[in-house]
Amino acid sequence: MNARRHLSHEQAAELLPWLVNDSLAGEEKENVLVHARDCVICRRDLDELQRYRNSVAGAAESMVIPAPDMRNMNVRIDGLIDRQNRRRQWMPRLRDMVFSPWRVAFAVQTILVIVLASVLIWPGSEDPAFTTLTQPQELPDGHYVRVVFSPELAASEFSDLLDELSLTVADGPSERGVFTLGYSGTLAEDEYAQLLEDLRKEANVLFAQPVVLGDIR
Amino acid sequence: MHVPQSKIRNKSKEGEEAKALVLLDRVRRGDRSAFSELYQQYHPRLYGYLLRLLANPVMVEEVLDDVMLVVWTDARKFRGAAAVSTWIFGIAYRKALTAMRANRRYQSRLDRNADLDAIASESMQHAEWIRAGLAQLSPDHRQVMELTYFGGFSYQEIAEIAGCPVNTVKTRMFHARRRLRILLPVLAGETKEQSSERA
Repeated sequence: MNARRHLSHEQAAELLPWLVNDSLAGEEKENVLVHARDCVICRRDLDELQRYRNSVAGAAESMVIPAPDMRNMNVRIDGLIDRQNRRRQWMPRLRDMVFSPWRVAFAVQTILVIVLASVLIWPGSEDPAFTTLTQPQELPDGHYVRVVFSPELAASEFSDLLDELSLTVADGPSERGVFTLGYSGTLAEDEYAQLLEDLRKEANVLFAQPVVLGDIR
Repeated sequence: MHVPQSKIRNKSKEGEEAKALVLLDRVRRGDRSAFSELYQQYHPRLYGYLLRLLANPVMVEEVLDDVMLVVWTDARKFRGAAAVSTWIFGIAYRKALTAMRANRRYQSRLDRNADLDAIASESMQHAEWIRAGLAQLSPDHRQVMELTYFGGFSYQEIAEIAGCPVNTVKTRMFHARRRLRILLPVLAGETKEQSSERA
């Protein structure tokens, strides 16, 4: 059973071109026809559309359509197939080259050798433009002592003490608070021993020890 | 016994579709003779459709071959969601649209002035009026008109071909008709006096 639905004028009017080209079917066609029967505007539109259709149909009938000529088409398809075949010939070779386990192993090994050689040959990173007191560094020739100061020692007292004993901070403090102090000038062995003695007498010096150059710090 | 025209048309359409489906299945497996048959089957419709849009036989041959080459290469991609003719005309639609847009500046300079003069001439045949009027439409509007009146496609099929919603097809048709009505008042049923009054 056809369930007829009332179409608004707009709904029916927009379907008229397809009523004219005979592509509407069933219920939809029935609904448009029912509306068009009573609608003056749609009937006028149908006349107009019918004239368009007849004109196009007339033009189509007078159109000269040449017989199909597949020569160009065949040349293009042959070219396409040739390219595909060439690709098919190359693909297995490429696959063999790339995916052979021996080749993969060889490639990995080569890469490792190159990386190792690079690490060994190329210089390490350049020294930074600054150094910290905890950074290990070579000490120049001279006399040095390792000292641990009391935490109560004020900065000004520390500075005065170094001035008094003609010492400078050559290194440190280390993580454990060890300073390496250098004597600015030359010292005889007994003078060096005296310097150590003076340092040990200071109330704020907890520990003082001579440094032998070349020691592991 | 009277058999309605639409039923005859639908039956022949169904037969064509079934045949095309079998051929396309063979084309998918690389069968050149099936492709040749499919080419022969679609050549007249595609040629006519493209000639109406492009108006240049050399360009039509090129675009038609482009379309059929896509059919050859993409036959595997056809999933049967749409009819074969809708799929092929969808390819033709996009190729024609590209060619029309590329050709439009050149074409419009050559044809438009001549066509507008021709529209004004009452001695023109209706078919010529229509052709000249259609040439004034935008490529999208033109395609909807051609697919409807030349191709005989339903609005649902045109939506599939153009890859747009059905409402867009209806809207394009509405605007195309409105524009044609202005361009071709006599064909739209107006007298010369009415059209000059409206102008």
